[in-house]
Amino acid sequence: MLAAEAGGQRRFEVEADTVADALRSLPVSNLVFDERGDLRRLVNVYVDGVDIRDRGGIEQPLTGAEEIRLVAAIAGGAAYST
Amino acid sequence: MPFVLVGTRKGLFVLSSDEERRDWEVSGPLLKGWEVFHAVADPRDGALYTATNSFVYGATVHRSADRGETWTRAEEIELPEETGLTLEKTWHVEPGREGEEGRLWLGGAPGVLFRSDDAGTTWQTVESLVGHETRDKWNPGAGGMCCHSIQLDPDDSERMYVAISAAGTFRSEDGGESWTPANSGVAADFMPDPFPEVGQCVHKLLVHPARPERLWQQNHCGVYRSDDHGRNWERLEGNGLPSGFGFPIALDPDDADAAFVIPEEGAENRVTPDGRLGVYRTRDGGASWQLASDGLPEPAWCAVLREAASFDGGGVYFGTQSGSVFMTADGGDSWSEAASQLPPILSVEAANWP
Repeated sequence: MLAAEAGGQRRFEVEADTVADALRSLPVSNLVFDERGDLRRLVNVYVDGVDIRDRGGIEQPLTGAEEIRLVAAIAGGAAYST
Repeated sequence: MPFVLVGTRKGLFVLSSDEERRDWEVSGPLLKGWEVFHAVADPRDGALYTATNSFVYGATVHRSADRGETWTRAEEIELPEETGLTLEKTWHVEPGREGEEGRLWLGGAPGVLFRSDDAGTTWQTVESLVGHETRDKWNPGAGGMCCHSIQLDPDDSERMYVAISAAGTFRSEDGGESWTPANSGVAADFMPDPFPEVGQCVHKLLVHPARPERLWQQNHCGVYRSDDHGRNWERLEGNGLPSGFGFPIALDPDDADAAFVIPEEGAENRVTPDGRLGVYRTRDGGASWQLASDGLPEPAWCAVLREAASFDGGGVYFGTQSGSVFMTADGGDSWSEAASQLPPILSVEAANWP
């Protein structure tokens, strides 16, 4: 869904000081963050394969050519509305 | 060319036909992955708008100017931080009147209304409603505190209505600057005071397009008609309806005394009664109702959601949570299945390509 909302583009190269800044520069930033600027609960972010929740959170600085992946959380089996 | 927009839990489908409305072609899904709570074609320019929601990516509005080929998404839809509220769901998009260029209205949860003056790119909170003096008496229904009905008076550019579950109906005489509760005579049987000023659980509110002082509503607690812009309401049951409980209501633009409802057994068993998918029709302003189910499946245990019925000059349409769309082109005398095996249907809206 994110790629479709980004016009079909699946990969972006951006320059940013933090993970949050990198994500905010995307054309889908308002799907990734809620209206208060918080990362949506069911959006998982990995920096070089490590979940940001295990590594400094969304404000962690970027130091080089890190790869950031955005993945919708696994929420299978919900009985209603999915 | 008539077409019907069908919003589902898994995207948007478009049903197309000719003026006879006998054969329907199904295309879609569009907006894959999104739950389409409502979709509408703006009669002013044919643009499509959807109230779209995702359990991962939140609530938004999409717009297409090319019949669904490409879509743009609204900028962030925000509630003022001082309200302490955040947008939970978008529910209904209502295009403005002819001449109100770029204006649209958007209803959402929790009990909020937005206005756009740039064709849905940005949305401004209608603060007179979010800060309404009765708001502390509003409560969410099972679907959240949804602002699901937005009706514009076709004859008076300042008069409009919204309905919220479970806050009731509100009328504005000044283009949305202020709102008056319009619930006199409407029951809230689940409240200690069964006729409160606000708190009624409206399920769907409609203004008759040719007789705008006449309003209809399907409520949690009965079916109602008002003939004075919602100042007073008359309950219309005990006269042929198997139940006062249901969600959608549809009208006939050429007959202000006609209406269609699809009753369910009750609040604790939300399925069509008697194992039959039954549409009930009145042609006398709700004084009596008759079953109009020729062509509808039986036995059937169905549910039709509040946004899942619509009408135009050529027919009445509704969609079930079981994924079927039924329509009548003869005022309810006979029904046919226009589509089947769709995902659970959330909304149905008839329109014509310009």
